Amino acid sequence: MSGIQLVLVTGFIFIGLYFVTRLKKRLLDIVLLFAMIACGIVFALRPDITNVIARELGVGRGADLIFYISILLFWFVSLKLYARIRKLEQQVTSIIREGAITNAMEITDLDAETFQ
Amino acid sequence: MPLPAEAHHKKIVVVLPVYNEGPVIRQVIISLLKIVPTIIVVDDGSTVPVIKQLHGLPVVLLQHRVNLGQGAALQTGLTYARKLNADIAITFDADGQHNEEDIKSLIAPIITNEADVVLGSRFLPDSVSIVPFTKRFILQFARIINFLFSGVLLTDAHNGLRALNRAALEKINLTENRMAHASEFLFEMKIHKLRCKEIPVHIRYTDYSIQKGQKSRDSIKVLFDLLLHKLFK
Repeated sequence: MSGIQLVLVTGFIFIGLYFVTRLKKRLLDIVLLFAMIACGIVFALRPDITNVIARELGVGRGADLIFYISILLFWFVSLKLYARIRKLEQQVTSIIREGAITNAMEITDLDAETFQ
Repeated sequence: MPLPAEAHHKKIVVVLPVYNEGPVIRQVIISLLKIVPTIIVVDDGSTVPVIKQLHGLPVVLLQHRVNLGQGAALQTGLTYARKLNADIAITFDADGQHNEEDIKSLIAPIITNEADVVLGSRFLPDSVSIVPFTKRFILQFARIINFLFSGVLLTDAHNGLRALNRAALEKINLTENRMAHASEFLFEMKIHKLRCKEIPVHIRYTDYSIQKGQKSRDSIKVLFDLLLHKLFK
């Protein structure tokens, strides 16, 4: 095993362990994750396989194929995160809106001290 | 100039979203109060709370604890207007660019029940707005984008001066916190089949309102928000 293989395989195993501890009950996510980790480990140990797949798909090198797939994954993850952020934003908005409405004040009712 | 007699038995409120506005806000409120008795000021988390500038002005103040954006502030004000059982709600900009005299013609089509939503336009034949060149260009582009997204073709885009009747007030719900709310407003109009009318308005481009207003480069951000809005709806 070369140095880079050692680094990649250890990295994949750690990512796998981390996610397994977090997603205890979500079966589909775990299966998907294991499939990806398994691919990662196999490709790290046997880079020649990626070359074969790449040539089948009309891409020159295995490394390029991995790169293209990474770009797609990156976009997928970004959009997922955006969706999550928007959802959070909507929750925050409704909480703040509720607060603003319950604490509505009619300025004429205030005494002058508020303005100091 | 007072409102026409038919308007007197209608409850009319103005929603005024405010974020870090200068002393001009007092001027805007004072001139609005001559026309409409109920003003809902929504302080969208200004750094210096706007309450300090409202001394002695009879308005309702709603305060966002953090800054959420103009769309969110408008919706907060509209939700409150709903609670007040308003018959007509008007959205107005706090930077002094809108003319309070336009309110009369803005609510006329609602009083005669010709429209549920009335939008101000800078580009109708009778409007007396001198729109700066780049702004004019961007707005033309924006109205086409709005048309493609919402199916509503207007003569103007992102003009903050609007009037809503009771039905529109009940139905329209803005979820876009920032500037894309102006386009979302049109989507909502379309979804709820609200009748819409545009009327010419007079927009004052002062140095202050230009500096406070949206910059041309913000249009890219709005477009991005719109795409996300459509994607995640």
